[in-house]
Amino acid sequence: MDVSQYLEIFIDESKEHLQTLSDELMVLEKEPENEDTINEIFRAAHSMKGMAGTMGYSNMQNLTHDMEDVLSAIRTGKMKVTSDLVDVLFQCLDALDKYVTNIQETSAEGDDKNEAIIKKLNDILNNGTGAAPAEAAQGAEKAEEAAAPANEDAPYKKLVLADHEKNAVNEAINKGLKVYAITVSVEANCILKAARAFLVFKGLEGLCDIVKSEPSVQDIEDERFDLDFSMVVITEKSFDEIIAVIKNVSEIRDAVGEEIKTPYSDDVKEKEDTKTAVSKNVKETAPAAKTTAPATTDKGGAHPQAAKAKPVGRSVRVDIEKLDVLMNLVSELIIAKNGLVAASDDATAASSSSFNEQIEYLERVTTNLHESVMKVRMMPIESVVSKFPRMIRDLSKKLDKKMELIMTGEDTELDRTVIDEIGDPLMHILRNSADHGLESAEIRAERGKPEVGTITLDAYQDGNNVVIECGDDGNGIDVEKVRRKAVEKGTLTQEQADALTEKEVVDLLFRPSFSTADKISDVSGRGVGLDVVKSKIEALGGDVEVRTEYGVGSKFIIRLPLTLAIIQALMVRLGDEKYAIALGSIQTIEDIPVTEIKYVHSKEVIHLRGNVIPLVRLRTILDVPVDQDAPEDENLTIVIVKKGDKLAGLVVDSLIGQQEIVIKSLGKHININKMISGATILGDGEVALIIDANALV
Amino acid sequence: MEENKSTQVATTNEATGLSTDSVVQYIVVKIGSEQYGINIKYVDNIVRMQNITRVPKAQTYYRGVINLRGEIVPVMSLRLRLGLEADQFSNKTRIIIVKLENATIGIIVDEVREVVNLTEEDVERTGYEQNTDVNKTNYISAVGKSNNELISLLDVSAVINEKVEG
Repeated sequence: MDVSQYLEIFIDESKEHLQTLSDELMVLEKEPENEDTINEIFRAAHSMKGMAGTMGYSNMQNLTHDMEDVLSAIRTGKMKVTSDLVDVLFQCLDALDKYVTNIQETSAEGDDKNEAIIKKLNDILNNGTGAAPAEAAQGAEKAEEAAAPANEDAPYKKLVLADHEKNAVNEAINKGLKVYAITVSVEANCILKAARAFLVFKGLEGLCDIVKSEPSVQDIEDERFDLDFSMVVITEKSFDEIIAVIKNVSEIRDAVGEEIKTPYSDDVKEKEDTKTAVSKNVKETAPAAKTTAPATTDKGGAHPQAAKAKPVGRSVRVDIEKLDVLMNLVSELIIAKNGLVAASDDATAASSSSFNEQIEYLERVTTNLHESVMKVRMMPIESVVSKFPRMIRDLSKKLDKKMELIMTGEDTELDRTVIDEIGDPLMHILRNSADHGLESAEIRAERGKPEVGTITLDAYQDGNNVVIECGDDGNGIDVEKVRRKAVEKGTLTQEQADALTEKEVVDLLFRPSFSTADKISDVSGRGVGLDVVKSKIEALGGDVEVRTEYGVGSKFIIRLPLTLAIIQALMVRLGDEKYAIALGSIQTIEDIPVTEIKYVHSKEVIHLRGNVIPLVRLRTILDVPVDQDAPEDENLTIVIVKKGDKLAGLVVDSLIGQQEIVIKSLGKHININKMISGATILGDGEVALIIDANALV
Repeated sequence: MEENKSTQVATTNEATGLSTDSVVQYIVVKIGSEQYGINIKYVDNIVRMQNITRVPKAQTYYRGVINLRGEIVPVMSLRLRLGLEADQFSNKTRIIIVKLENATIGIIVDEVREVVNLTEEDVERTGYEQNTDVNKTNYISAVGKSNNELISLLDVSAVINEKVEG
């Protein structure tokens, strides 16, 4: 079977299942008795096994199979959940994750059979279940206690019916016919297994209809089965008669089975679901057989997932590249619209009123279109942060510190491109918090802090930005120590170091040159790769800021733009050049007489409504060619921009107006200063650069 | 880094077209009185001089960026790149848009002359490959002869890519 077309779905779904497994295992560790959790884990593992089998990834299938064995032992109460057990299961997850990654990259699962893990699983199984390891090993999806113990392992309970087969069964039940699920086992030393099986089928032929057999009839005839095969038959005869006929064939060791009395529900959505649902369903028949199998019981059995699952919106998986194309088209539309706007300025006022109307209409349409496309690209941040609880758990074990991660705002949405990139920096910061931020248990006790350290991850939307705050209630940054270190390393002189504000000192940590070892804490040094974190976030158009208090904790605040491609901007003029400033960061625009400029530390500042705001002469820092003859204006036009709680005043020559601009990259060959975040194409076809106000504050 | 170097070498050989016997086409451009050849396979387009938006703090040989049908394309001056005096734009000045390794870059030249076909015999490599002076970047991969005129063949990837410092 050509399965390549399903590969993508397989990978996506595997990841989903892995995530479920990870989440639920975390819960399980805390609540070892939680049956729902165990069932959920079991289902996810089972689905993965089925999918891996279908796709022909045998290593993955084997591993999930063994996992399933252990899980089912837990489920049937033969084993207790221990911390070791959860550890091994997490190792399984990592191994599975690796398989999936391999598959994603090379579409082959790789040769690693992970025998060590499989062995551990088996050991656990053998030790944990004591006397009956073999039974437990095959104990997947077994009937509940109510079922006869002898039948416990009967494979007929595992039969999976396709839709049409289920329909046939349902119909038969409605007609009052009897439906049996039977497993026939052959003598172990039987030579002509296929022939015996053939005789069984032959014998049954006149008595009943065989709806389903497992393996298929073809496989059975080709002797491709082990020692038993199962089937579902529809007949008028009694169960004993059928069994008698089967047993009549020589070399048949045994035939067991039971009647299926409850109809299958028919609207099961996915194949994976079907498997679990049906196996559950068959199981359900055992206890249900005693009562008169009310339809409601059956329903409950068939849709355990549907009932519990979160309501999922109707969705289509779309290739991100297709969205990029769509986005580019929208961008061009906006550029074309800007062109029209520019052209309309030239047109005479009389003829242009209806023209303007149309342009406004077009503007509305493009804005809406832009918004919708943006929304399509948005993803909840959950997909990134959901792996962190697991990471913190592992770190907690590794570092032997007690800690917990509290996350909020996982449903905050971000552009897909940002989502893809933000995972690593966040992980870095969290690791830092866990490793270097949180103190050891003794120090915590000394400081009167709770034994369990708290790490928080809060995401929320703030205007045109998404803010992610990673905090901990640990040691905080020892500013004095950083200062000393900076001097020791020769990054700064003593005077320079003394002159720095606390904030500036903390910013040193983000300097690439200010390398890491033994800096803040005595372990490997807080600030490991913080420069990488910063550059990555800045590459996404965001910025990162640290707030810290020694002994109390620290907080990293990451600010990311909601959208990457199209923004509202203020166009300004500097000399003969035009520049764009993102509207999101602009606070106010002021007209200030030159005489009001004051000097602090020989830097220009203005005093505005109680704030002292440093001035930035854009002309100077952007090296704009100056016309020497031009007289200095009496009033300065100052754009006040804001980053976090810091303000700065950008001095511009004049304002052009507000415009929706499409951000384009300048490519990697031309060196651009950090204060230029990109370029855009104006209505007249000219290129204007975009000033990143965040870099200037 | 190691890898980077090897690709560099590979493209260098390609750029001169010396690995094959077949005829290679070059666009001949003029910078001052000298003629330079650019392998036609890198050339995406040739456009007239247009308004260039200055990019502050960029490398000095980059004149800025232009809008090429909705794309932002950085434009460098070949004169400044080769260490000559700055361009005097005339109506013969052209921007050659080259595409290399997914990057699109405009190169300003004084004039575009013609397209020539050069075979292996027309190309002389002597002295250029052995340039071991690492500090002096070499943008010329070979010299071609056509109609008794000499054409310096540009190593396009060397021109576009920043040499690693040191």
